[in-house]
Amino acid sequence: MELLRIAHALDAELICGPDDWESMQIETVFASDLMSDVLMSEREQMLLITSLSTEQSIRSAGIVGSEAVVIANHKTVTEGMIELAKEQDMTLLVTRHPKYEASVCIGRIMEPQ
Amino acid sequence: MSPEENRQPLQSSLRVQELLYGLRISEVMTNKVFAVSKNCTMRDVRVIMRNNEISGVPVVDSKRVVGIVTMNDLMNALEEGRLDDCVVSWMSGEVQTLAEDMPLSFAISAFGKFSFRQFPVVNKANELTGILTFRNINHALIRELSRQLREMEQQNENPPEPDSLQFTKVYQLARYDFENGGKASSAIKKFLKLRRVPPKLVRRVAVAGYELEINLVAHSIGGMLSFDINDERVKISSHDRGPGIENVDDALTEGFSTANEWIRSQGFGAGMGLPNVKRVSDEFAIESAVGMGTMVQAVIYLTQEKDDENK
Repeated sequence: MELLRIAHALDAELICGPDDWESMQIETVFASDLMSDVLMSEREQMLLITSLSTEQSIRSAGIVGSEAVVIANHKTVTEGMIELAKEQDMTLLVTRHPKYEASVCIGRIMEPQ
Repeated sequence: MSPEENRQPLQSSLRVQELLYGLRISEVMTNKVFAVSKNCTMRDVRVIMRNNEISGVPVVDSKRVVGIVTMNDLMNALEEGRLDDCVVSWMSGEVQTLAEDMPLSFAISAFGKFSFRQFPVVNKANELTGILTFRNINHALIRELSRQLREMEQQNENPPEPDSLQFTKVYQLARYDFENGGKASSAIKKFLKLRRVPPKLVRRVAVAGYELEINLVAHSIGGMLSFDINDERVKISSHDRGPGIENVDDALTEGFSTANEWIRSQGFGAGMGLPNVKRVSDEFAIESAVGMGTMVQAVIYLTQEKDDENK
């Protein structure tokens, strides 16, 4: 699924991302505030939803090769986080939805038509 | 943190670090130990010290170390004219010993932590087998480094190819420095990615390195993380100065954690770190001693998996 569809579904705001972020393909979604769990993930083309708005979230996502991160609960995003995301060509989005609701929104549009 | 530790370490410190991992105390210590039994006198000790130019003599009771008489103790006895006293009345009874199969790095931590000038070394049965001084360590390091230098000189110096995987780097990590924890692994990840290492392998290396970085930052008082890469494998070594792990088996159990609330608030401390390193590694080794430090070595093969992924 295209990242743009997910961004729309979440009413998300783009913080930064590569030029072609809209057409980026997302196959799996991982929602967690526990970076220890994120680091166990073996998923491909992954989107991370987290309400832990820290540089380590961006780093952990990058380490497991996540393409995009959605910060839930409209948490403040720091300059350091943006810089890290840019360095890794990662798309960074913010949504006002809490993690669970955000997951539900994506679940709805990901269901087979 | 001292100013020296702040400075970026030289690549050559990797060599020294490897040596400190690799050498065992038993290979470095003095095997010929002058020890006295409990019923010897301080006068006996004086003779031993003078004749052999040593500054500390362990006291043993059927090979077990029960104390140590140092030059200081001897001078105190001498001052009071009580050289005929039994050693037991003058020795220091609380002796810190080192185990002979410990890596040399632990001994260096011990020298840093205690003000002793020598440590009696014991075997698994707790019997005295040697004594370790700083002089031993210096000699061993000089000997080993000269040997390595000779080897390097003998090797033909082929300039490395631009896309070569040969690479070594040492990173220093400070306690609670979450801001920098992870930078090393990100850099290594980038390095491997640029050289077209399969993404799954890159991820395994990055995860192992990152978990070890977080461990150093969250659980140790500071330490080093080194990457030693060649065409065959990536070797990641983590080495800290303490506090050491009480029970290594516990630390390797998923979910076991000693993390505090603050570490948890950073999204870590779920007790998955070391198990996760082990999970992604082809070879995994850990050694730890309370008060001296922990070393972890994780190896990820780069060759075998390439074939697997082509299948």
